[in-house]
Amino acid sequence: MEFSDHIKTANVEDVVLRQPLHPPSRGTLCITGHHLLFSEREEGSSQQVLLLLRNIDAIEKRMSGSSGTITIKCKDLRVLQLDIPGMEQCLNISRSIETLSCLDNVSEMYPFFYRPTDLSLQDQWGLSTPEKHYTQMKELHERWRLSSVNKSYSVCPSYPPAVIVPNCIDDETLKKVAKFRQGGRFPVLCYYHRKNGMVIMRSSQPLTGANRKRCKEDELLLQAVIEDSDKGFIIDTRSSQQVHQARMTGGGFESKSFYNCWKRLHRQMERGKALQESLIKLVEACSDESHNVDRWLSKLENSKWLSHVQTALSTAGLLAECVERDGHSALVHGYEGTDCSLLICTLAQLIMDPFCRTLEGFLALLEREWVQAGHPFQQRCAHSAYSHARFQQESPVFLLLLDCVWQLWRQFPLALGFSEALLLRLANEVYASDYGTFLCNNDQERCALGVKDRTHCLFRALLRPAERDYYSNPLYEPTELAIWPSVHPQSLQLWRGFFLRWTQLTHHLEAVQEEIRSMVIEWGRVAQR
Amino acid sequence: MQGRPKLFKGPLSDGRYKPLGCPVNYLPHCTGAIEVHSILLEECSKIPMNTLLNLAHSLPRRVEAVVAAKGGPMLYLTQWIKNGMSLKFICESRQEGPVVLDVPLGVISRVEKMGGASSRGENSYGLDITCKDMRNLRFALKQEGHSRRGIFDMLFRYAFPLSHGLALFAYLNQEKFAENGWNVYKAMEEFRRQGLPNNKWRMTFINNRYELCDTYPNLLAVPFKCTEDDLRKVAAFRSRGRIPVLSWIHRENQAVIVRCSQPLVGMSGKRNKDDERYLDLIREANDTTKKLTIYDARPNVNAVANKATGGGYEGDEYVNAELVFLDIQNIHVMRESLKKLKDIVYPNVEESHWLSSLESTHWLEHIKLVLSGAIQVADKVSSGNSVLVHCSDGWDRTAQLTSLAMLMLDSHYRTLRGFQVLIEKEWISFGHKFASRIGHGDKNHADQDRSPIFVQFIDCVWQMTKQFPTAFEFNEHLLLSILDHLYSCRFGTFLYNCENARDQHDLRTKTTSLWSLVNSKMDLYLNPFYTPESGQVLYPVASMRHLELWVNYYIRWNPRIRHQQQSPVEQRYKELLALREEYLKKLEQLQLSDSSSSYQLTNSTTPNTTSSTASTPSQQYTHLQTPL
Repeated sequence: MEFSDHIKTANVEDVVLRQPLHPPSRGTLCITGHHLLFSEREEGSSQQVLLLLRNIDAIEKRMSGSSGTITIKCKDLRVLQLDIPGMEQCLNISRSIETLSCLDNVSEMYPFFYRPTDLSLQDQWGLSTPEKHYTQMKELHERWRLSSVNKSYSVCPSYPPAVIVPNCIDDETLKKVAKFRQGGRFPVLCYYHRKNGMVIMRSSQPLTGANRKRCKEDELLLQAVIEDSDKGFIIDTRSSQQVHQARMTGGGFESKSFYNCWKRLHRQMERGKALQESLIKLVEACSDESHNVDRWLSKLENSKWLSHVQTALSTAGLLAECVERDGHSALVHGYEGTDCSLLICTLAQLIMDPFCRTLEGFLALLEREWVQAGHPFQQRCAHSAYSHARFQQESPVFLLLLDCVWQLWRQFPLALGFSEALLLRLANEVYASDYGTFLCNNDQERCALGVKDRTHCLFRALLRPAERDYYSNPLYEPTELAIWPSVHPQSLQLWRGFFLRWTQLTHHLEAVQEEIRSMVIEWGRVAQR
Repeated sequence: MQGRPKLFKGPLSDGRYKPLGCPVNYLPHCTGAIEVHSILLEECSKIPMNTLLNLAHSLPRRVEAVVAAKGGPMLYLTQWIKNGMSLKFICESRQEGPVVLDVPLGVISRVEKMGGASSRGENSYGLDITCKDMRNLRFALKQEGHSRRGIFDMLFRYAFPLSHGLALFAYLNQEKFAENGWNVYKAMEEFRRQGLPNNKWRMTFINNRYELCDTYPNLLAVPFKCTEDDLRKVAAFRSRGRIPVLSWIHRENQAVIVRCSQPLVGMSGKRNKDDERYLDLIREANDTTKKLTIYDARPNVNAVANKATGGGYEGDEYVNAELVFLDIQNIHVMRESLKKLKDIVYPNVEESHWLSSLESTHWLEHIKLVLSGAIQVADKVSSGNSVLVHCSDGWDRTAQLTSLAMLMLDSHYRTLRGFQVLIEKEWISFGHKFASRIGHGDKNHADQDRSPIFVQFIDCVWQMTKQFPTAFEFNEHLLLSILDHLYSCRFGTFLYNCENARDQHDLRTKTTSLWSLVNSKMDLYLNPFYTPESGQVLYPVASMRHLELWVNYYIRWNPRIRHQQQSPVEQRYKELLALREEYLKKLEQLQLSDSSSSYQLTNSTTPNTTSSTASTPSQQYTHLQTPL
């Protein structure tokens, strides 16, 4: 089906646009296959608003007489209002937006049509590959190997074709282990701590089931991870009650009797629906500007968003403590191993590894731990906080990650090489993007659709000189030390830059950040002449 | 405890990188404290008893005892030193190494004995010290030999010198500084800076001997057209003679901020023609003011209730005036609010329902009301209308409102020295009752006159600095230092209730000013990102969504949130200040050498006081908000 079939009315004149931070303006509205374009038609003004339809989370229409008003709620939390003359035009426009904003077919999405002049499709897609990553990590080579057991995605559909596993574990063993782990996500290496040679592994839950099945190969693999060390830690992102329940549905946990060198630590992390509902409540509280008896802080607390931030940071802190302070390797998993596990592995790496805190390092970390490791972006980010659609798989895990990183950035203003602006940009891109980076749910799907050949890569675009400058932290001062976040509730703040982004104060503070950045650069430039 | 990693092997912090707080433990139920505790008891029993006794009589001297910050990790006291009027408790914790608790005696609000000779249980016998700066310290001592008697007597005597006929420490302090901070504020100079006197406003020395009003300064600015006799008549109708006088005048539109106390209307609804006429003179002094706006800081009901005690508010008889109530609560409500805040942050931070507990203290709500009141004042004045501000006596809420409005309106007060002038002028010279509100050297900790009004003002300033990171020349460290010395009694700056009392006690000749300390080490207090913009009104956003609890002040003593003495951020800011200096120097050289070839700056971020004409990005946003 062509896009034009969904567009009955492509142009409407004399539309009034109301948007935050701007006075209302009058102009022409235009709907295309992927965009909503508004051009102001005042004398001497040429203001335009270009909005990806994909960015639209919910739309409400209200008819009055011969005209109508469409309220557009975006995934970046912006709320726009369009006053459209003519009832039919209004209905047509809103129908087009409704359909085009939630197309399911990935290859019809905008990244497949986005062709900026300064980027070429011949450019390398992505910052690195598992192969390159392994080659660069020389210190790994003695004990770890790169396995291509998954090269046709047959062992684990959500893993990349190459993964890092202990040297002594052959591919046949891996295949057996994969059968014992949900979705085939057998334990693979995700981080090697140079200071002490300890590692972080991640996987999905073992499929022990009600009759406590065991898998010798799985036990062997984990034993190979700790080798001659006395123990390792398994950080399970579920409570001990949850893991016992999981056995009833075929899942389970690594029992003490079969994995006697591994100690399980349970940290219950909310995910899926609970997290999505938390976001909805938070956004509701933020946009509810009723002035009188406000109870803002209670509403903020009731949304539980900050307690999810706290749990994520403290679980990551615990993981980093196991590796960095206690000097032991760790395995992380919950159920599928595609959400919370990735979240805390990423945060733990930021806490411990100085390279991950650079701009390049951070983007590479996201590429490895989220894009390649198979976080189902398409399912998780189909809708955001405003949608009335019935939620299926939506969950703002990645947004929670960005929030946690922002908390780190706030607590350690010098330690991260990138700025809040980068986090905000990523928070937008993950929901609606010109780039193909966050399309699909895993590497296999991306290959099938030719994402790497037919779209541009966001991470590459962010590392172009102008962008790199813009997203770098002017106060950055690299440190080799771990950055241990404080996780007390009073040390955590609402990420106003994102959740209250469309208020004047936040807008002003963004400008001030930018001003400070250019100020510091300018001082350096002149002082060093 | 099985199944948990062994934590806390090395030192807790990783060198410089310890930010706002550092995690004691990522496990919810810390096991550390109990272990340390038992070790402490063991070691405590080895301390010879007479060491404790000797201590009290011959300080400084080494002593060993156990100090437990209530609820926090146990600290092990190895030494305490009485240094001038400050106590330094040097403690060790198993986890964190040595910790120094520096407690100026002036900060102590209450010392109590805890437990008796027959008390049982761990740490049940000792001393409990409540501080004015949100700290509680609890010292556990051995029961044998009345070990605490000496310490208690010493503390009680030196923490409350005024209650024992002793001098405040500021009078004993011999510190010398390069600059004399008492010269920072000269009333006449400040009026001249504002362009006064002029043909509408004159200076009067009617209060030269504090006879008209004993709590006002001796130099006052009043409408040109009023006579000294008028002033005396008005004084009779204003509570404690605090007549309406000028605090600030807008350079361009000549609108003014006038402050005073409530009119003495009383139950019978008395009128005073002189007062009515005087207010009209104030209105007339500005051409564009059709109606004089009277901001009564109080809630409407409180203003009405004040009639019962002879006070009240301006009624309809003031025909060319309009009255607005700002709903700010009185000193008692504010004191209780801060007390509630203290309860949830020290010694144990309320963790499980932190935000709703914070909400129930109403502290941020009070901050919001004070700020939004000041925004209304500033907005009225900047649109060319003169205003009059009062509460009951005009020395608490009035000072908050006028000084905050002036901070929004006048960029001079946002400089390091200008801010000192603002405090000297609106708070100190106009008789905010620091002695009564803080209770310097006074043992009566339950005094109903005590209230954190000035703390609340500094909190509001902090909120503004957060919203305008480049608009203030000073940094958070200055605000923290001001609040520390509000209690310390090391400087004379915040002593006594009014100028009259200060003169009587030769304060300015016998004590040192806090500004001597500050201005002798300015770079400690400067904000590297300061970008001066004159003539811009800063309207902060007074919405709960944008206000934050000032964690670095209110929760800084919590053992778990404690942060390092010198954080890397401060160090980096110092480097940036140095870089900025270097930049300015280079710039000057370049401008000198290329004055003909027109060297141009690539952007407008010059932090140079002389070149603030460029339109910087933030200028576009200073008119942020349509205030209310």
